Amino acid sequence: MAPMELIIELILMPLVAFVVGMMMVLMMRRIAAKLQRRIGPPFFQPLYDIVKLHSKRTQVSHGLIHDIGIVMAMGGYIAAETLLPVPGMTGIAEKGGIITLLYLMMIPSLGLALGVGQCANPNGSIGIARALTAMLAYDIPLVIVIFGVAYAAGTTNLVDIIAVQQAGGFETWGAVQMPVLAIAGLIAMHASLGKQPFEIYIAPAEIATGPMVEMSGKYLGGLFVMQCFQLYTTSVLYVSLFLGGGTTWFDFLLKSFLVLAIPVSIAYLFPRYRTEDLLRLMWKWPVMLGLIGVAFVL
Amino acid sequence: MNSINKIPVIEEKRTNPLARVFDEFVRFCRSRSLFILHYCTGCGAIELPPAMTSRFDMERLGIQPMVSPRQADILLITGYVSIKTLKRVILTYEQMGSPKYVIGICSCTVNGGMYWQSYATAKKLDEYMPVDLYIAGCMPRPEAVLAGLQKLMDRIHSGEANSWEDYFRNYDYYLGNQQKLFGENWQTPTDIITEAKHYDLIGEGTLGKHTQILEQHQKPLEALDMRLGHDLKEPTE
Amino acid sequence: MTLTPLDELFLYSGITVLVALLLGRRLPAGWMVTILYGIQLLALMKMAPLGYGGEPISSALTFEVMGQSLSWRFDALSWYFALITLGSALLSSWYACGEWEQRFRQSGGNLWLFHLAMTLNVFSMLILLASGDLLSLFIGWELVSWAGFLLMAMAGGVATKAAMRYITYAMAGAMAIFGGIALVYVSAGSLQYEAILTAASQMSTAHLWMLVILFGAGFGIKMGLMPFHLWQAPAYAETPGPGSAFLGAISSRMGLFAILLVLVKLFGIVNIDSLKIPFTLIDARDLLAWIAVFTIIFPTFTAMKQNDARQLLAWHGIGQGGYMLLGLVVADAMGAAGGLLHVFNHATYQAALFMAVTAVIHRTGTADLNKLGGLVVRMPLTFMVLLVGIIGLAGLPPMNGFVSKWLVYRSLLNEGMPLLFVAAVIGTLGTILSVYKLIHNIFLGQLRVEHDNVKEAPWSMMIPMLILTAIIFITGLLPGIPLAWVASVQQAVGLPVPDYTLGGVESASGSLDMIWVIGVLFAGFGIGALIFYFAGGRSKRVHQLDNYAGGHFLTADVRYQYSDNFYAGLMHLIGGWYRGSFLWLEQSVKSLVEFLSLGMQGLYRRANAEFYLLSTALFVIAWVVI
Repeated sequence: MAPMELIIELILMPLVAFVVGMMMVLMMRRIAAKLQRRIGPPFFQPLYDIVKLHSKRTQVSHGLIHDIGIVMAMGGYIAAETLLPVPGMTGIAEKGGIITLLYLMMIPSLGLALGVGQCANPNGSIGIARALTAMLAYDIPLVIVIFGVAYAAGTTNLVDIIAVQQAGGFETWGAVQMPVLAIAGLIAMHASLGKQPFEIYIAPAEIATGPMVEMSGKYLGGLFVMQCFQLYTTSVLYVSLFLGGGTTWFDFLLKSFLVLAIPVSIAYLFPRYRTEDLLRLMWKWPVMLGLIGVAFVL
Repeated sequence: MNSINKIPVIEEKRTNPLARVFDEFVRFCRSRSLFILHYCTGCGAIELPPAMTSRFDMERLGIQPMVSPRQADILLITGYVSIKTLKRVILTYEQMGSPKYVIGICSCTVNGGMYWQSYATAKKLDEYMPVDLYIAGCMPRPEAVLAGLQKLMDRIHSGEANSWEDYFRNYDYYLGNQQKLFGENWQTPTDIITEAKHYDLIGEGTLGKHTQILEQHQKPLEALDMRLGHDLKEPTE
Repeated sequence: MTLTPLDELFLYSGITVLVALLLGRRLPAGWMVTILYGIQLLALMKMAPLGYGGEPISSALTFEVMGQSLSWRFDALSWYFALITLGSALLSSWYACGEWEQRFRQSGGNLWLFHLAMTLNVFSMLILLASGDLLSLFIGWELVSWAGFLLMAMAGGVATKAAMRYITYAMAGAMAIFGGIALVYVSAGSLQYEAILTAASQMSTAHLWMLVILFGAGFGIKMGLMPFHLWQAPAYAETPGPGSAFLGAISSRMGLFAILLVLVKLFGIVNIDSLKIPFTLIDARDLLAWIAVFTIIFPTFTAMKQNDARQLLAWHGIGQGGYMLLGLVVADAMGAAGGLLHVFNHATYQAALFMAVTAVIHRTGTADLNKLGGLVVRMPLTFMVLLVGIIGLAGLPPMNGFVSKWLVYRSLLNEGMPLLFVAAVIGTLGTILSVYKLIHNIFLGQLRVEHDNVKEAPWSMMIPMLILTAIIFITGLLPGIPLAWVASVQQAVGLPVPDYTLGGVESASGSLDMIWVIGVLFAGFGIGALIFYFAGGRSKRVHQLDNYAGGHFLTADVRYQYSDNFYAGLMHLIGGWYRGSFLWLEQSVKSLVEFLSLGMQGLYRRANAEFYLLSTALFVIAWVVI
């Protein structure tokens, strides 16, 4: 690949992720509104929010680590997007593979955890403690699922995993070949989004939005940007693992939005679990399904 | 000073047409994305759920509730403010990031309402912090709340809603009123004067005799700056 | 007689011990010892070709004892472990020899003993690493055990108790090893490696089983493998700061070295693989793999519950040993490389972490995670060291721990071992949780009033920490550097070698190139920083008491910090699973021994001494005859 081409891809991939991610945020809020029989926000609402937050005149910082935390939260995802192939662009997906991507996706959360830690607010610290607990909960089924997919495809290279699925059309999709794993993956993905009923670390009424409690202006804006990336990364990862990636942008985006619509539609019908209930749920059903799915693959 | 119309609108004249388009865009975004912090002190709070939920749906205007003052743009005070509450309201207001707006809902915030004769109630909210908008009524219906919010949005869009600057520029006046109520030892953990200096928002009324009283007894709450400590002298205090 | 480079190394190491012994009471002893470690490292560097596939170098020193020849030689395996040993000794000693040493003396510590114990440890480890046959291995092993005991016990009080526990375990292990050696001698007729190598393929299954159990248990005790892990955390945590950095970095890896040498190189992983456990689907190799995995999980989750920073790190040290063994037991090219690389990586970050925690203790006087907080503004460099260290420990990019763990995961995936894979990942996730607690409770959150005047750690302690930090990052960015040494180790012990590059590993089924990954990661951080610093307005630093508390006015006299029972929600669920079963096991063994000894004592008092002499003699004769 020509270096120029690669550089363009590396710039375009996060940019596309951001724009699509904003649309996903919009979709999420619209779905919530529809379920609650409201009209919902206007089309450009996510953009308005981000621009407004970045245009705040005054905002507080609790120190350098607070700033760096936000930088890491955004930067980690920007880096992760280049490992996630999209139609026509592979970036550096072949240099890392799915395990690296999985670990790279933890960097933003951990950067954020550091930043929140320096805010010296116990609400934030409790939020992070819960977020890490939630990560322990949903990552176990997630790695089982990823193991199954990677083992079935015989590679950890996402580009190859997608190619294997696209080879025989619909029948070779991961979701058709490994339906049990696909279901387990969907549950784990739902939990990784941190939406209800797994919203333990935001919990506005209990710990005042946890990690976001001391975030003002551009700090909160950075987290809004991070949310766009998070939605995009999660749904595109699922599409790449189970729905054959995308051959064209149209079916790629269609799949991504549809996949995301499933957990989001479920989310707004539920209140919140307690932490230990989340753990119990995650370690029981998706793990069981995942292990059954892996047994089929082996 | 305590009336909205008297607050001078300081317009930043920018000659570059692109910059003006950009400013216009930013003002538009600010007006279309408002995060509310409810400080529901009285009965007016009951009118807010309908304004938020399916009947009136605030979110279609880009308004949504937020939890902590750091995240919020609008401080919504619904109902009477007792002196004890007012301390918290002021702290909350000072912790919000500018541009910030205050809306007083119900008659109680305008003039004490039915608590006019109460010894423990702060009567007029705008003596203690700049109020952008009052929505009078006992209590105002959700329609009125939404109409008020739309009015505020228009003012933000046109650049008129900058009373938050008044708090920095005329801090002495507000502090004086606060000291009158809470005594001369009154101090919040936030530091408005250094904040005004930091953001270049010092006005003629920022410092005065009331801030002098504050500075006499104020315990210094400077940010804990990172330091290596190797080549620094021992702190003097 | 000409001195080979190995002899020179022994010579310098011996001189170091002598200097510590004779001059250890003088103040510049620390510096002298440090410089001598440097010289030893240089001597080791003379043997650097070993790390790139060079021929083994033997010592001129040989003995004949009871018909057995004892010899010492260095091959790639010894060189790799010696490099780590001397590197961590050099940096720990450097760390110790400035302000830490003075403080240690003032507070009544015996500096002479400390230096002596450190130098003896290094010397005995070098002897062990150089062993050329099983007898010299055993001698080295005993030396290492007792030198370790000296270092662990020197702090007195709790430390002595922990060290006594260690030496009890270590002696039991030594007995097992001695039994194993005797068994090898019976079957192979010699204790030379070459003879054992040929004999190993002809051994009967029962014989091999006995050997695997005896050697596995003996060496596993040193490594802290389950269920012999209980001694390690308290013993390491109670050692004086730099000593625990050294012990945590390398000491228990001697067990891994011996396992590698005896079980992998001499017996061969294929032979072990053929040992089936009857009525189950698993064989001895699976058993080892599962022991490794349990060693990862249980100590890691025990670490999560610790409230003392050093105990937390020491428990993690046990857990990380599991990854190394796991990689070696999988024994394909990537797994073995990952396991071996993890030895190096673990030494770097574990030493850095212990040093950072010791620096905090040096400045604040406590390692209690509930009595610290917010120190990042006072000790920013130490914070950075600890941060880099925990990223390495948790195995996240961009630090070196990620590469070795990636290799282990990759091999488990290749070999199709889902349960082991998931278990390894659970260990990593648990590590992330517990290291966040570590960094949060020490450096983040609210700064306590009494720590307002705390200063950054002195430069004499800072520089070794920063060097380690640089090593952690550079070997994360360019894992090819240590992978080259690892590859020659793999060749030396007869394991397959992965196709490594400067930036990682090439493989048809998914490669890793850390240069790209880290490059993109930092580019992402750069873009994030651009957005953050230029797309938004200015921000103002505020005091920590200017904080959201639901409208409450915060004051300095009331703590506003979350540190105790950090993962409360998790503990609601798994808290009941901590049953202390292994402690119970240890206790019951102890009571059994006590009971037996009481019984024997009673017998001894009553019966005649002649009877004992007679029965012992009879027993010995019977044993010899049989």
